[in-house]
Amino acid sequence: MTETSAHEPESTGGAGFKRISRASHIKELILQNIFLLCALIAVMGVALIFVFVGVRGWPIFGEVGLGKFLGGLTWHPTAGEFGVLPLIAGSLVVTVGAMIIGAPLAIGTAVFLSEVASRRMRSIVRPAVELLAGVPSVVYGFFGLMILRPVIAKMTGGLGFGPLTACLILGIMIVPTISTLTEDALGSIPGGIREASYAMGATTWQTIYKVMLPAAKLGIIDAIILGMGRAIGETMAVLMVVGNAPVFYQGPGKPMSTLTSQIVMDMPYATGEHRTALFGMAIILFLFSMALVGGVRILSRVKERTA
Amino acid sequence: MPVSDVSRLKISFGHACTWRRMSGLLTAILVLASMSLSGCSQTSGGREQIVVNGSTTILPIAEIAAEDFTKANPDTKVLVSGVGSSAGIESVSSGSSDIGTSSRDLKPEEDSLGLIDTPIAYDAIAVIVNPANHVRKLTTQQVKDIFMGKITNWKQVGGSDLTIGLVNRDEASGTREAFSKVVLDSEDFDPSAVILPGTGQVRAVVGSEASAIGYISLGFVNSEVRAVSIDGVEPTVEAVTAGTYPITRVLHFFTAEQPTGLAKRYIDFVLSPSVQDTVVRDAGFIPISARSQSSVSGGSGD
Repeated sequence: MTETSAHEPESTGGAGFKRISRASHIKELILQNIFLLCALIAVMGVALIFVFVGVRGWPIFGEVGLGKFLGGLTWHPTAGEFGVLPLIAGSLVVTVGAMIIGAPLAIGTAVFLSEVASRRMRSIVRPAVELLAGVPSVVYGFFGLMILRPVIAKMTGGLGFGPLTACLILGIMIVPTISTLTEDALGSIPGGIREASYAMGATTWQTIYKVMLPAAKLGIIDAIILGMGRAIGETMAVLMVVGNAPVFYQGPGKPMSTLTSQIVMDMPYATGEHRTALFGMAIILFLFSMALVGGVRILSRVKERTA
Repeated sequence: MPVSDVSRLKISFGHACTWRRMSGLLTAILVLASMSLSGCSQTSGGREQIVVNGSTTILPIAEIAAEDFTKANPDTKVLVSGVGSSAGIESVSSGSSDIGTSSRDLKPEEDSLGLIDTPIAYDAIAVIVNPANHVRKLTTQQVKDIFMGKITNWKQVGGSDLTIGLVNRDEASGTREAFSKVVLDSEDFDPSAVILPGTGQVRAVVGSEASAIGYISLGFVNSEVRAVSIDGVEPTVEAVTAGTYPITRVLHFFTAEQPTGLAKRYIDFVLSPSVQDTVVRDAGFIPISARSQSSVSGGSGD
């Protein structure tokens, strides 16, 4: 507080840096360096995690063999079998299922907020959607375990643990991510395009379907990719409802496991090769999210070119 | 806006005053360091403390005993946490805890760790079903076949036509380890069973689903679930004491060396009648002395 007030009367002179006193430009430098430090710490954090996970997990590809690790059909660490294919498949099933449920819901919400809703409606719905993003994942998990699971159990005849419950929970969890970004994409379309469509006599639905959504296409794909990143990395909520059985998909109501939930289940007791295998699984997750972030980068480059 | 001023500043002074940059960076680091130092002051405050870590089954005993112990000895602190038996054994052998609690015996590969075993109580593992389930008794063989996935419908064991919903524990669980050893002869569980990370969750799910079956420590059985009789013997404290109930185990405290100092005082307290006859019994376990006369299989001796 005192720093800014002390430096303002001098710097607002308009004549530039020459009028700034020595004391205040030292302050400027200190502030710049603090920001630099913040950025460096963030970058270092990613680099350190990457190196740590890589160093701890890399040996598994040699010890177990790339084919047996990535292509192995059985995850049974106490018997020395480290096949992660069922877990990768589980992560993909849960993520794709969550997208099928969550993406239409989120895009629909975004279209409603940006194209249909009255100002009053918007002021109610938007904070509610944003609030969804603030709900801790363990609360989602608990909701899934106590409320959703018994319902699914009745529907599928099992115990209610499995991909269906996990997808429903994840589908709701990713709504704020996708809908906020989709709304931004719709909002960034020049107003004239929408008005032109209406002026041609198009209905609201025709405007949304034929004009707005195609125009915002890249932004929406962006939003969906980021939603996928959120879904594939989610751990706690999935762990609580997916059943954690390291087998391939057997049905919507049958237990299954994912990379993230299996890491958490095994971490407390894993030693030696088993622990290395868990880090190997973390490498796979890292590669997945790198691919997703890469996808977003490429898309934004495409967007710049077409814009 | 001052933004442009700042950027101009950077251009003009950036190269000339690198030492200033460095000192700025240093100040920032110092500020951050002093902040983090003042943030976490020492909490131990000169009190002697031990860390007790491991089985979630033993948690009720270890925790209540720790409370009573520190009440009687205010200058000490006993930190208890439940992370699973395997994690407890791992932590005491790596030195990150003073006592590792375990609801299973050491595995052959853990013998080389040279841990000192102090048995503290007996426990039975109850096979639990939903109260709405008509099946009241099972044989050890039937339980084995159910958990290995060979029996998949309740009508095969005299119940209604309903697919069995298997609820298993995670591999860090000592209860799972003991159950696997006694009932499954260490053969593999059905891998497609639901795996839940805690006794409480197993009980809650079995209590809410009519088709479910699970296993938990006898001390955790309550009215939410029904414990079935095994080979005609109901899981009761009397049956365990008499040695007739088949699925029993020993609860252990492991230490890296012969316990000394505070760890020894705490273990002696847990073994004293004031804990054994109250805390251990209240938690549904059987005091270690109760079966010393009758022949005990698997007891590591005293």
